[in-house]
Amino acid sequence: MSKTSVLDRPKRWDIPFFAERSQRDQTPEVAQKAQEELVQRLLVIEPFAKMENRKKLKDILHNDTRLLQFHDGDVIVRKGDYGNSAFITLVGSVKVLLDDLDPTLLGRKKTKTQSRWRSFTKLFTLPRMPESRDTRLYPQLREGSGTTAKPGTTFAIQDIPNVLKALKEPLDPTDPKSPLKITNTVTMETGVLFGELAALGRIPRAASCVAQGDTQLLEIRWQGLRDLRQLDNALRQYVDQLYRERGLKDALQNAAQIHLHQRSDTQLQPIVQTAEFATYGSYDWYGSYQALREENSNPLTQEPVIAAQGHYPNGLIIIRAGFARISCKQGSGEHTLGYLSKGDVYGLAELAHNAKHPNDPTPLTTTLRAIGYVDIVRVPTATAEQLIIPNIPVDQIPVLQNKVSSPPSPSTPTQNPSAEKDRIAPVILESLVENRFINGSATMLIDLDRCTRCDDCVRACSSGHDNNPRFVRHGTTIDHYLVANACMHCADPVCMIGCPTGAIHRTTQGGEVVINDITCIGCGVCASSCPYENIRMVEIRDQLNSDAIVVNPNNGKPIAKATKCDLCTDHHGGPACERACPHDALKRVDMREMDILSQWFNR
Amino acid sequence: MVQPIRTFRFRRYLSSLLTLALAAGLALLLIASNLSLRDTHYATGWALLGMILFLACYNLRKKLTYPPLLRSATWLQLHLYVAWITLLVFAFHIGFRIPNGIIEVTLATLYITTFTSGVLGIILTRAIPPRLAVRGSEVIYERIPMFRRELRLRAENLMIQSVEKTNATILSDFYTAHLADYFARSRNLRFHLMQSHKPLHNLLSKLTTQDRYLGTEERAIAVELRDLIKTKDALDYHLAMQGILKIWLFIHIPLTYMLIAVAVVHAFLIHVFLG
Ligand code: HEM
Repeated sequence: MSKTSVLDRPKRWDIPFFAERSQRDQTPEVAQKAQEELVQRLLVIEPFAKMENRKKLKDILHNDTRLLQFHDGDVIVRKGDYGNSAFITLVGSVKVLLDDLDPTLLGRKKTKTQSRWRSFTKLFTLPRMPESRDTRLYPQLREGSGTTAKPGTTFAIQDIPNVLKALKEPLDPTDPKSPLKITNTVTMETGVLFGELAALGRIPRAASCVAQGDTQLLEIRWQGLRDLRQLDNALRQYVDQLYRERGLKDALQNAAQIHLHQRSDTQLQPIVQTAEFATYGSYDWYGSYQALREENSNPLTQEPVIAAQGHYPNGLIIIRAGFARISCKQGSGEHTLGYLSKGDVYGLAELAHNAKHPNDPTPLTTTLRAIGYVDIVRVPTATAEQLIIPNIPVDQIPVLQNKVSSPPSPSTPTQNPSAEKDRIAPVILESLVENRFINGSATMLIDLDRCTRCDDCVRACSSGHDNNPRFVRHGTTIDHYLVANACMHCADPVCMIGCPTGAIHRTTQGGEVVINDITCIGCGVCASSCPYENIRMVEIRDQLNSDAIVVNPNNGKPIAKATKCDLCTDHHGGPACERACPHDALKRVDMREMDILSQWFNR
Repeated sequence: MVQPIRTFRFRRYLSSLLTLALAAGLALLLIASNLSLRDTHYATGWALLGMILFLACYNLRKKLTYPPLLRSATWLQLHLYVAWITLLVFAFHIGFRIPNGIIEVTLATLYITTFTSGVLGIILTRAIPPRLAVRGSEVIYERIPMFRRELRLRAENLMIQSVEKTNATILSDFYTAHLADYFARSRNLRFHLMQSHKPLHNLLSKLTTQDRYLGTEERAIAVELRDLIKTKDALDYHLAMQGILKIWLFIHIPLTYMLIAVAVVHAFLIHVFLG
């Protein structure tokens, strides 16, 4: 029988949020005491003072929050970062910068890539056994040895930037020498909750926030925020209201095709006031999708219609989150023309035509359906005609394809509809949509007409991950393309929902979905949520104990960890699989980049 | 900004054009040097060895996934076109004559066989994958024996069912006589290499001739059996073709190292005796 090594099964809250980033000079005991004092302080202030279920509240505050101190000019969050936490200002105020800033001013850190030398030397010291780990890194007590992980050393869950030198001076928008040209800001005073949209909506931060004066913030990780909402009705309504308001503006500004990103708040206000939010499908789309796959039923019947071909457009539709399918009638069936995702716009061609030819209005030439779940913003026709369409350069308004009879070009406006070679073959497009592969931002596609099945991709992946390949060269075949079982780094990463410790998260730099092996408790929630079966649970071995399987002393069961492709974020040079393919057969593709995708399909 | 993806045809034209231009320049230079009675053997010899070492370095690059030294696909492109240039340099080096001397003949033979194996390889690597893509479902080479076992079990179970359900042994007798061995191991690889469907057609037509002796229930089972036969045929095809894709490299690589070893000996001897 093989040897075993013993390790307690990790649990949620094994590592409280504060312990992940406690001050360097603080001992764990001091940090613990400080957190207890913080909880006492929080319990008597709003919004916590009036919350019921004090025991649960105390647990959440203790384990899912931490106190952060900032000085004048420190960056708290940066626009575009993926964050899994929200903030409440306890002392001081926070300036929200609505304009884009120079990334260097924002102190964007490089992701923690291994040095080239380290990557190189590691090739010669690859462990013999699969999934072998240095168990000293785990916080749980190792039997006999008594070693614990040092708090704050190895965690990558939330990356709030360090003090930013370039912003040391007090922020003065009128000062011409100020490193920032800030013209568009909002100040948030004490007690305001912010960052919840990114934390709950799994979307990048909408704006950068900078501390004004000495500021104390309470950071709440999203699991905590989610639980707090359950505890308090008022907080739930408040968060949902904020979510609505900010989400609306964010959605309008994100829709590049309608050129609203440069408009100020006051200019946007009339549009925001008339626009409406709507959600189609189920938020838990992955559950229904898995069931659908098993049932093998017609997906179109499961996709709620957002706007129907032949109806008159009642507004301009902007996709705020999720995916939608564009199709048009063909014979007695429907033909998929493309898909829309966050920031895409539907109905523009028809509305522009109708605005120009009020006497010859056209109905919608296509049908829009929710794939899974979709959040949309609908700007009523009148508002769109008055405030949006006149500001779009004429050459950027999509041409209305001969009304209903001939299909318009697929989703991206950059595509030339006439160029047949630039089109994705309908059968491929249909399958990509049907199987929800369009969710991927780094989907692994393998051209089976070029792939010699040499497995250089698998070997390269394996050597970059301590001899453990993080994908299987196997998966769904569409035409002569293989969509391999490799994490697609989804736009809507449903695997992140329900992770009790936040071990699965987006990197702050590229937004890749990665798993923090240290805080993963092996519960398997992510693996079972992944609709594509791209997360594997593995049993780990103890490098320090002759590669014995690590087991939980309480029940003798092996300790598992979730593993998946991390897009080689630890290494220089991008995904090793793609670099290792001798025949240009393998590519990681962002499904939103339809023009690149169609070029790749038509090489 | 993201680079637009070039078509393979465009890349092929561009690289061929560049290679041809380079080769033409090189040929002119060598002809001019030869005409001016300069000895180009040393220059072409070292250049050839250098280029061959470069070609061989591709093997090293594949092993060293880090540091990221160009994409493997870029290496292969360089490999292919540099290899064509070695042919020109080789021709000048041996003076367009069959060499004499045991080392020289061995070396030239090794070079030509390595080169030829490369050309054969590129043909195979371009010709086989599209064929694999349309035959059977995608299967990982190492898992083929497992799938074969699974198929055999399914076929055997089908036969047991057939006897149990129909009380007739026509199909099971047919299985014992013609299919037991077919499902037990990989078969007809030789035919698959030739892209021949003959053995499959033979088996299927033998099965079809049994049709007239079968009852309705047995016929339904025979249809399932046909599918299994076809699946096994595709599996064998994958084994043969994926095997070829692997084997050719096992010829190309050892030849490379033999070539380098003999080339080094050749260079050493030249330096000792002629240098
Ligand atoms: C005559 C000198 C040549 C030498 C010394 C040489 C050497 C090598 C080496 C060492 C490899 C690496 C194999 C591996 O590690 O997987 C390789 C791969 C290859 N060579 Fe050559 N080669 C030569 C000529 C050619 C020629 C003339 C061609 C074709 C026109 C060619 C085509 C290829 C191909 C297609 C591969 C492998 C691609 C794959 O991995 O699928 N080689 N060669």
